[in-house]
Amino acid sequence: MLRIYKRLWQVNWAEQWQYRANLLMYLLYWLVSPIVYLAVWTTVATHQGSVNGLTANDFITYYMVLLIVDQMTSETTIYILAYKIQDGTLSGDLVKPVHPILTNTLVNNLAFKALTFMVMIPVWLVLLLLFKPNFSGVTWQAVLLAIPAIVMGFVISFLLGATLTCLAFWTTRVYSIAEFYTTLHMLFSGQFVPLTLMPKFVQDLAQFLPFQLRLYFPIQLILGKLPQAMIIQNFALDLVWLLIAFGLFSLVWRAGVKRFSAVGA
Amino acid sequence: MHTLRLISTFIKMNFQIAMAYRVDTVINILLSMLWLGWELLSLSIIFNNTQTLGGWGPGELVALLGVFHLVNMVMGAVIWPATEKFNSSVRDGSLDYTLLQPANSLFLISFSRIVLWRIWDLFLGFTLVGVGVKMSGGATSGFNLVSFLVLVGSGMLVIYSLWVVLIAATFWFVKFDNNVTILQALMDSGRYPATIYPPWLRVIVTFVVPIAVATTVPLQALRGELSGLRVLMFIAIGVASLLVARQIWKAGVRKYSGASS
Repeated sequence: MLRIYKRLWQVNWAEQWQYRANLLMYLLYWLVSPIVYLAVWTTVATHQGSVNGLTANDFITYYMVLLIVDQMTSETTIYILAYKIQDGTLSGDLVKPVHPILTNTLVNNLAFKALTFMVMIPVWLVLLLLFKPNFSGVTWQAVLLAIPAIVMGFVISFLLGATLTCLAFWTTRVYSIAEFYTTLHMLFSGQFVPLTLMPKFVQDLAQFLPFQLRLYFPIQLILGKLPQAMIIQNFALDLVWLLIAFGLFSLVWRAGVKRFSAVGA
Repeated sequence: MHTLRLISTFIKMNFQIAMAYRVDTVINILLSMLWLGWELLSLSIIFNNTQTLGGWGPGELVALLGVFHLVNMVMGAVIWPATEKFNSSVRDGSLDYTLLQPANSLFLISFSRIVLWRIWDLFLGFTLVGVGVKMSGGATSGFNLVSFLVLVGSGMLVIYSLWVVLIAATFWFVKFDNNVTILQALMDSGRYPATIYPPWLRVIVTFVVPIAVATTVPLQALRGELSGLRVLMFIAIGVASLLVARQIWKAGVRKYSGASS
């Protein structure tokens, strides 16, 4: 099994490497919104000293860490797979003796991530010089603790993204559904603003939804802003959502593949 | 006259396409309302925490959002679909047939595919501008209103020209098929006044990818911050960039030699 992953990695890495010139362009998508929000909130915070207890530096560090965490936990399954389900080329993957999503699609995601990350680092360092954040609240223990949180955040969002993509077995409007999902993500993940500034009911809901597990939780964990009880609660939620996401995915995938072969026959 | 007939044919054709996908049209409009809800919520979160954002009040930001929707309308209705069509026609060589047709090639490329439901954004945009102006006191002079409208137009000309240059670059660099990504990625910066951005970002959105010229600048005119001379300057920039872009397009077409040759 390990050999299969190794070979898939080589193939996908080589495939992504061809498009290295395009990477800087893709990177822009990740960069622009967080920097815009950073500008908005630091303007407000410097104007009046602080926003709800958050200083300009709090916002700068928040969005600087967000850039990294967002990149590490994002996933692109719908672009890799949805068109394959729609035009039928998925059948080529289905006859292979390994699970097409949990192997090839996953590795493709990771190769894309690894390569963009290489471009991301120098850009991030330049931003560090431009914004001069003060990271004195960050400890090594917190960063180490954030690693499992980031990994689980990625796996959950990957499985949920794959579940969403599998809806392409039933409907041609999977991209509209994905857009709806994106608006939910905007609202509940902490992408726009630290969740503490959101309306109360959004915060209460966000607490139990999977969206904040991939952004807000790891970011606040790294910044050392969470009390111990919250950290434990979020790790527990990570495990719960991991199970739910895996269950959902297996269900939808199995039913979808059955339907797919019926269409092809 | 010829051009008008072509445009009306294009609209008729695209109307038929839209009618074939009625449910999608409804879904798309619902989704765009959802995004509008999100945009208004994010503004209300900002102004729950402050009175002004770098000197701009809530009404002015609502109006800016309206201008952003107008620009977004042009992008969604014309520019993105045209890009898709252009890129695939360069790859498979069908661009040859477009170039052979007895009409301006740039015109055909730009307007033969129009996504009609985006007209909805036109309505939304003007409503938001109206509401925003009203919210912020509504004491705008006739001169400010006219220069605002003219500058929205010239700002769009600037963005359109940049787009023409970007896709014309494909004639020289064949593999440049995500030519418009830079434009798409920076669109989001148009939702907020460029004056609050750090200097380097302000330079990018003003001079390199001039989203701000089409969003922040018209709104500054509406607020009466621009002198008549500045307004004329921005109009001149709009016209000049279109002329330059046309020349680059023509040079690109001369360079083009078809996918198979």
